[in-house]
Amino acid sequence: MLENYFRQYGLAAIFLLVAFLVPVGMLAGSWVFSRLGVRPAKPSPVKDAPYECGMEPIGGPWNRFNFRYYAYALLFVIFGVEVVFLYPWAVRFIQMELFALIEMAIFILVLAAAWAYAWRKGDLEWR
Amino acid sequence: MSSYDLYLISPYLAVAGTGLLVVLLDLVFRRKGLLAGVALAGLALGLLLTAVQARDSLGLGGGSGLPNLAIGPGLLAASLAVDRFALFFNVLVLAAAGIVILASVDYLERMRGNHGEFLALLLFSATGMMLLSAAAELITIYIALELTTLPLAALAALLMDRNSSEAGLKYLIVGAISSALMLYGMALLFGFAGTTSVEGIAAALLAPAQQPVPFGSYAVLAAVALLLAGFGFKIAAVPFQMWVPDVYQGAPAPVAAFLSVASKAAGFAVLLRVFYTGFGDFDWHWGALAAGLAAASMTVGNLVAMSQTNIRRLLGYSTIAHAGYILIGVAAVAGTSASQASPGSLTTAGPSSVLFYLAAYVAANLTAFVAVIAISSRIASDRISDYAGLVQRSPFLAAALALALAALIGIPPTSLFIAKLYVFSAAVHSGLAWLALVGVINSVVSAYYYIKVIRVMFLEPPAAQERIHISPTVWAALALVVAATLWMGIAPAAMLGVAEGAVRALSGVAR
Amino acid sequence: MSLYLFALLAFLTLAGGLGVVSTRNVVHAALYLLLSLLAVAGIYLILFAEFLALVQVLIYGGAVVIVVLFAIMLTRSSEYPRISDNRQWPLALVAALGLLGVLAAAFLAAPIQITQLQSPDFTALSGSLFTKWAVPFEIASLVLLVALIGAIIIARAGKNER
Repeated sequence: MLENYFRQYGLAAIFLLVAFLVPVGMLAGSWVFSRLGVRPAKPSPVKDAPYECGMEPIGGPWNRFNFRYYAYALLFVIFGVEVVFLYPWAVRFIQMELFALIEMAIFILVLAAAWAYAWRKGDLEWR
Repeated sequence: MSSYDLYLISPYLAVAGTGLLVVLLDLVFRRKGLLAGVALAGLALGLLLTAVQARDSLGLGGGSGLPNLAIGPGLLAASLAVDRFALFFNVLVLAAAGIVILASVDYLERMRGNHGEFLALLLFSATGMMLLSAAAELITIYIALELTTLPLAALAALLMDRNSSEAGLKYLIVGAISSALMLYGMALLFGFAGTTSVEGIAAALLAPAQQPVPFGSYAVLAAVALLLAGFGFKIAAVPFQMWVPDVYQGAPAPVAAFLSVASKAAGFAVLLRVFYTGFGDFDWHWGALAAGLAAASMTVGNLVAMSQTNIRRLLGYSTIAHAGYILIGVAAVAGTSASQASPGSLTTAGPSSVLFYLAAYVAANLTAFVAVIAISSRIASDRISDYAGLVQRSPFLAAALALALAALIGIPPTSLFIAKLYVFSAAVHSGLAWLALVGVINSVVSAYYYIKVIRVMFLEPPAAQERIHISPTVWAALALVVAATLWMGIAPAAMLGVAEGAVRALSGVAR
Repeated sequence: MSLYLFALLAFLTLAGGLGVVSTRNVVHAALYLLLSLLAVAGIYLILFAEFLALVQVLIYGGAVVIVVLFAIMLTRSSEYPRISDNRQWPLALVAALGLLGVLAAAFLAAPIQITQLQSPDFTALSGSLFTKWAVPFEIASLVLLVALIGAIIIARAGKNER
């Protein structure tokens, strides 16, 4: 049972390791080869410009950031926590009494009030 | 959950439900008066339900007469202890919230259209404070503390000018750090005791001591220190007081009023519950810790207050000093010599003096702050020099503020005179006569800066000539708190009896 | 074997924490924070707390760090002063090391009973969450509501000021 647990997460960890090593390995290999002289290293202004689908870059690197992203990230935190509480509830819901249903209903209603607040205050608009 | 459980949590449901209602109504209606009325109605309902529970707990009218209403294997008994101690603080917090809402009617115009949020956040914070004083186990304490702190942090930043944002940020960050320290202490305690319930921790501590250290274990010693640090922030004791002057100055005046009164009361409630029920008579060294904090708070608060020119910062430092006086009562732990006596042998003089002092302090400090709210909603300045000649511009306001400041010094016949008397005598009976002496000296010294303000109001020529008019609801709020201050000073026996009865409900205290 | 894993994850957590306070680029600081939080999720996995690890990755790594990054991008600051630019940093270092010493002494000196870890029952956890811990659960919903209202009021004003 314990070995199974470690084997499962061990596989996931190996997967993560490979996902980490492949790009890092490529970049490191490229750097090593350039130090060794195998890869030519001749930077030029055209080569160093940021990639924008083959066109000339328009505008500087620091643009005005749309505020809406932040409002959505805020809402995501709040409702993410709600979803995280829904998981254990869903697992045991059938075996528990009516009380658990009412409890979760109250929880969701309070957060629905939060959602209504965000809605009416205009934070769900993309403007 | 039975209907009895619902009855037990009904005050909290009432206030939190009113907060939700205010949020939702604010989205639909635009009338300011409606929202304040709904909020006050919710607070009144909470007070009514608390009164019904109090009647039940005292055994009047056929009630059960139990000191703690939440007994039995129900889910509530694990998290909340709805006892007379909690009911006392319910009344205190709800009354303070009601007075603040009444007094802020004129001030709301400066809130840039956020009236509904102001009222709702105030109500949620009040719910958190009530839950904090009733919480019987560590996790509920922590989350109720968060429910208390977060709305106040947002409220402090509500004016959204530079001072207000700074106030909100400071309160939030210092609150986060103190929560972190407190959580670490709670984790250590849980690791030691194996349970998060406060009574369970007391039972675990009664096992024979393992090391020749106070509290029998380094882990518990560290936990006590960390918990004291976390709670010390809430009650604004030195050395956790750095946030107070800036937050009191920058936050909107009603928020500073509510902070100074209710948040401090709730902080002391949880402090008393955790230390009396959890550590109790097990080791009185925590009384020595509290005594050190008390002496430091009184001295620092009074010394720095003497040089203040801003009325709000002055009241902030006076708050720190008063936290020191109250801590004297907390430190007055054992009436007998230190020993591993059975739980239930602590005297009631110390904690009941704390509760009476808190009630008296709520009345007096609210009087001062309501007057400041009324004045600053008209003259838009917090400098003491702008309060010159206030007696000619509004005699009642000047008189009320003068009474409040006299009460804060501790002059008879105001409530705080009796309160200080009781706190000092409790200290003397616990062998802390040196602390009582420090308290008396500090009371005398503090008279300097309070009288300075009174002198400016009454003797200096006024800066401007027009009268200050305030609305009737603010008059009503002011009248209520002035009456409370005087009543507790002239006839303190009733409130003293209530305080003593409330303290006896704590399970670590003598029956 | 879990000891080596724990050592690696603890090192990653501490490295992430130190990186947050010592880097000059504020976006790098947020990413170091992400590293630290994910390493803590790994520690939860070693302790057989799978649900907690899931919550940690989802909420902390997925939501909180995103909010932090977006807030950083809103303030348009590409550099902020390092902790060593504050003249009080020796005092802060002493205080931090003192706290570490006190806590380490508390842990090492107290007799800790090491119980055998077993895989906890997720259904038991959820059962107790809604019966024994029902009150903190409901209070948590209020805390979330309050946090949202507070954050929206303050952020909205910041947007309007621009």
